[in-house]
Amino acid sequence: MEINESKCVGCGNCHAVCPMGAISLNADGVSVVDQDECVECSTCHRVLRDEGYAASLVGAVRRVLSAFRLQYLAPVDVCPTGALEPPELEYPRSLRADFSDPTVVHKGTGVGGRGTEEIKTNDVTGRLGRGEAGIVVELGRPGVGAHFRDVEAVAMALAPLGAEFEPFNPVTQLMEDTGTGKMRGEILDEKVLSAIIEAKTSLERIPEFLSALKEAQGEIDTVFSVGVASRCLPDGSVPHQRWVEEAGYTLSPNGKTNLGLGRPLFQEANP
Amino acid sequence: MTNTLHRQGSEEDLKGDYVIFVSLARDITREGSAPKIHEFLRICQRHGPINIGSSKWGSVLQEDVEFGDLIANLKDGATSGAVFTDLDTLKAVIAELVEADLGISINVSGLLDGVQECCHAGGIERHSVEQSLGFWGASDLLPERDVLEINTLCGHGLVSFNLIRKMMDQVKMRRLTPAEAARTLGRCCECAVFNTSRAERLLEKVLLEP
Repeated sequence: MEINESKCVGCGNCHAVCPMGAISLNADGVSVVDQDECVECSTCHRVLRDEGYAASLVGAVRRVLSAFRLQYLAPVDVCPTGALEPPELEYPRSLRADFSDPTVVHKGTGVGGRGTEEIKTNDVTGRLGRGEAGIVVELGRPGVGAHFRDVEAVAMALAPLGAEFEPFNPVTQLMEDTGTGKMRGEILDEKVLSAIIEAKTSLERIPEFLSALKEAQGEIDTVFSVGVASRCLPDGSVPHQRWVEEAGYTLSPNGKTNLGLGRPLFQEANP
Repeated sequence: MTNTLHRQGSEEDLKGDYVIFVSLARDITREGSAPKIHEFLRICQRHGPINIGSSKWGSVLQEDVEFGDLIANLKDGATSGAVFTDLDTLKAVIAELVEADLGISINVSGLLDGVQECCHAGGIERHSVEQSLGFWGASDLLPERDVLEINTLCGHGLVSFNLIRKMMDQVKMRRLTPAEAARTLGRCCECAVFNTSRAERLLEKVLLEP
């Protein structure tokens, strides 16, 4: 994101709205964006309504009010002068918007947001079959952000276990080598709000994967959210629960349920 | 989209937090899905969700998004969803969706036992389940509990920690009501999965603080 210096009146509304805390006031009283920290999510531009005032008018009103020791408290969800200007982004910086702005659709998967389908379409894709487990690691979530070098560190921790990275996943598509989890060199310093690694393994290997993630925690400078998924048994029971709990981890009581209403329903070869 | 997977809160809080959404699979259900998504949203809308919308066009919490326009603009493949605050309503929504037989993948985020109960009431068995193992890594970077609970109500984390704190201050100074502050926070969430009712309850707590 860029801020038009000639328009900005330094109200500071965009500072709080920025999920990365990347906007601050400079010595001239104008808001500036730390471009290294900005993930191009465009939240500031979408959420703050452009009131369309001229910066000179806002300045004059402020000076008059100030003379009477008064202050105008603007609503918290406006940019009085429309100073926020989304720039045209070029690769690799464009990846920031691809992963951080949910209105942008990933070219490689055709899905918005982080660009993944996970179990959400498992009823028709059969991505996860019986006996299989999906391991989902979302780097940077919640609210901290992640560099692709962090994503790479976790991917490289899972790869030696024979992780089968989901091909229709934007992170997998940025890997130089899915056998090692190594990402393209030019993207490592790019920062995103979050990015999801999706890997598949067998149910009984869940403990190994969680153990590898536990070790990888110390190698990265951000947080990550971990999810485990599986295809339910015919009676509706959830097979991954046994393996996760036996490994000593606690699963959330809430989660995501695919209702199985998609058609045609994926037919497994050996149900 | 592990979007709605990591919503935080006590089981009691989670009893009032169910997100239902459609997902389309490339080369399988995406093509020609627009009318099915429209019908999905119409069914949800009839049951009075507290939030509804689509990642492409935003949520009805946003001032420039009307439900009619939302339906008119949605094209094939648009991930869309709605938020409900009680199990009985969710049960009725799922029963109606089963009856409608739209043929697109529909998911619910919420307490698993409750959702399974809804499935059984609708005469179906759940297909797949995903659960959270929480937050790992540099957890010292995470904010205080209430801020985290509100932040995770947006699947993409677009509701910033700082804005949540600012809204808490605004409520405390009585410049905004908890409902107004919750709505402002909800507008940051582009995919319409933000639960304003839960956010409002969390913001009300700051009024009780000394």
